Amino acid sequence: MRSRFCFLTLIAAAALQAQPPGPPQPPRPAKLAAPVDLTGYWVSVISEDWRWRMVTPMKGDFASIPVNAEARKVGATWDPSKDEAAGLQCKAYGAPAIMRAPGRVHITWQDDNTLKIETDEGTQTRLFHFGPPPAQQGGEPTWQGYSAANWERAPRGVENPDPFPIFSVRQGTQGRSLEVLTANLRPGYLRKNGVPYSAAATVNEYYDYHKERNGDEWFTVTTIVRDPQYLTGPWITSSDFKKEPDGSKWDPSPCKAR
Amino acid sequence: MQRIAFLFALLAIPALAQVDFTGEWAPAYHEDGPERLPGPELGDYMGIPLSDAGRLRADSYDADRISVVTEYQCRPHSSDYGMRGLGNLRVTRDIDLTTQTLQAFHTYMPAWGSVRTIWLDGRPHPPAYAEHTFQGFSTGVWEGNMLTITTTHLKANYLRRNGVASSDKRIVTEHWTRHGDFLTVVVVVEDPVMLTEPLVRSENWYLDPGQKIVPSFCEYAAEVPAPVGSVPHHLPGKNTFLTEVAEWYGLPAEATRGGAKTMYPEYRKTMPKPIRPAPEKCERFCVCTTLADCNLNETVQAPGGAPAPRR
Repeated sequence: MRSRFCFLTLIAAAALQAQPPGPPQPPRPAKLAAPVDLTGYWVSVISEDWRWRMVTPMKGDFASIPVNAEARKVGATWDPSKDEAAGLQCKAYGAPAIMRAPGRVHITWQDDNTLKIETDEGTQTRLFHFGPPPAQQGGEPTWQGYSAANWERAPRGVENPDPFPIFSVRQGTQGRSLEVLTANLRPGYLRKNGVPYSAAATVNEYYDYHKERNGDEWFTVTTIVRDPQYLTGPWITSSDFKKEPDGSKWDPSPCKAR
Repeated sequence: MQRIAFLFALLAIPALAQVDFTGEWAPAYHEDGPERLPGPELGDYMGIPLSDAGRLRADSYDADRISVVTEYQCRPHSSDYGMRGLGNLRVTRDIDLTTQTLQAFHTYMPAWGSVRTIWLDGRPHPPAYAEHTFQGFSTGVWEGNMLTITTTHLKANYLRRNGVASSDKRIVTEHWTRHGDFLTVVVVVEDPVMLTEPLVRSENWYLDPGQKIVPSFCEYAAEVPAPVGSVPHHLPGKNTFLTEVAEWYGLPAEATRGGAKTMYPEYRKTMPKPIRPAPEKCERFCVCTTLADCNLNETVQAPGGAPAPRR
């Protein structure tokens, strides 16, 4: 009897906490809602794919990328001198590849709902737009395309945004990742040696912050590239960046085709 | 244009953080495929912040060791290397039926039938003198949707399976996050013997509920005739195979020796010249995303062109 009473009391208390919904509130600006702070200078630490990232790989080296036969055919004709002559040195610096490049990134808030990532390698700028997409989308495809962003939410949030308090989210369900979807891309290279991606390519990214036992701060970005023209399935990589105290090692350099 | 609008409309519905790691996961070998599938080249220490001791130890490695020394043949992958090496993965969990709290995750990897428990019930790690095992002792805590795991009490094992060793003094931190049907695991190895700074790598799996997880078999057999009790090795300065990887891929020999300084972008400014120029076209492991397509002798050729000759 007593335990039943306790349970009912708990339910009643929870019901009191569950206030009737008020008028809809405007969403908090993404900058204020950020569950983690990704701003600052970060360096990519090349502990993976060293010989495909720190040096330009050989023509025809598609290792680790799920390319189809058409991509292999196109990749086998790679000629960096033609890209240089055409002013296309930035083909390997587009959104599908830029976070895999060796270099530093500088992350700042351009405004309350736009996160900016600048790269010193290739001097590229990416803008992550939070909130509803603009009415006028599209325009000319670019190397960095258009990126829409969200802070990943806890499971159950969409279907049941106001859960009954005693059954509210359990440990481990609070989202704190940055999710980014990029499209409207100018065709380019997944790798500097001419492994192609098409204008139909899209990029999903998840940025996860972690702090290590020695106090170092990192983020790892999981990058999922889909391209119906050149890939047989999603290409999944994850790249690791360590935070630096300042921009003293920031070293802008232009795109290079080779 | 309509397609782009559709894509961004999808993103207007935020993805949901996923807390449940249980299920069957298949690895994506989309990074370092040739190293992780057929196996690394001898002398390839690229991307590893090796200490002098770690490098000396790696240089002594002779690949015949696992053919001759039967004790090495069925040596399991440790829990940290297992995440980087070959590994389909099954994750199960324990719920305490009284408290309805998550007590532990268990992982199974077919390579040597490796089983690990990751305790989430707040228990402490055992004292330093406790037994070391290949899977170690793992505890986890949640940080938002990320599961951070600390593993101690590991036996010595590999950082790369070409003789780059890890010591039994290392501590390993992992960060697991799930995004939809993708799992990313960051593995941070702190090894005061073999490394000069933490080695941070990250791996990816995709949910594959239909996959067949196979049992593990390993039999000991002397594969190469050798005197009883011998351990194939190279004495310091006597290993003549260490420059092969630099020659095959046209890389600076110094870079292939690893070390922390080689892992940062600015190293490219001081990097020495290659021993010899890279071949005009890829000759080794030119595709390599699965065990089925990782063909050593596959040479990519331009349409109408002759394949580059193999050395």
